[in-house]
Amino acid sequence: MTIERLKALAQAYGADLRRWPASERPFAESLIAADPAARAALDEAAALDALLAASPAPSPSAQLTARVLAGAPRPRARQARRGRLAWFLGAGWTAAACAGVVAGLGLTTHLTADARADAVLYQSTLSGVDDAEVLG
Amino acid sequence: MVAVVDPDEDLVRRVGQGDPAASQALVTRKLPRVLALAQRMLGDAAEAEDVAQETLLKAWRQAPRWTPGRARFDTWLHRVALNLCYDRLRRRREIPTDAPPERPDEGPAPDRGLLAAETGARVDAALAGLPQRQREAIVLCHYQELSNIEAAALMDISVEALESLLSRGRRALRHALADVSPKGDG
Repeated sequence: MTIERLKALAQAYGADLRRWPASERPFAESLIAADPAARAALDEAAALDALLAASPAPSPSAQLTARVLAGAPRPRARQARRGRLAWFLGAGWTAAACAGVVAGLGLTTHLTADARADAVLYQSTLSGVDDAEVLG
Repeated sequence: MVAVVDPDEDLVRRVGQGDPAASQALVTRKLPRVLALAQRMLGDAAEAEDVAQETLLKAWRQAPRWTPGRARFDTWLHRVALNLCYDRLRRRREIPTDAPPERPDEGPAPDRGLLAAETGARVDAALAGLPQRQREAIVLCHYQELSNIEAAALMDISVEALESLLSRGRRALRHALADVSPKGDG
């Protein structure tokens, strides 16, 4: 790095090397350590930096902070999504339960009909025996 | 493409999920920065508050769909805030008013001692008197402490052009503040 380049950087970025381009800092540090003219250029830049530091940074008022926070994303939105999911899951279980009841009823009716038919057949067989005995 | 390391990534993700503590933390971290940027760009406290509020409201809308790794959230915030400032500065030029934006008094004589607050007011006035692009370069690099690459990208110029704006801006400030001591003691 030349002294001219260092002066140009000090004039642009000031005396604090943290504001300088990262790639130029190591060369600048070496030059500052070796050349009094480089140190003088930094001192001149530091005087303006000190003045710029006198400009007060505004602090956000409590009212502004409250207004901003009032618009922040709400966890309610997430809860509502969860609520909807829970509702759908609940509806699904309910539907499944209803389907089970209907299927159960159908199966029961079917099985009962068979059993009833068997009973009638059996009964008629018994009646046949009784008639034979009576007739015999 | 190289993924960008973003110190705000986790915070923004939590904000997007509706975490109130994360929203509070983001406001604590970013609102003063955005307000300072707008204040120094516009030189008007009320307008700066409006810009800061609008910027953060846009951040709330952006957080749930923020894609990490493409840009730093802080840089995006600066982009939004700067655009809002440009809009207001453009409107000022289109609608000239008799009353210019509030500026601190530049009155003290060269040999008169200045208190620290007065020094700050002089510096603010000198900043406000700079051409807009020079002021913007100094605000982004010096006060917002963005890297030269980030600042140049935000201003849509080369790093060389940024350095030129910074040099001319600082030279103008040195000239405008030649009678002011850094310590405020005249």
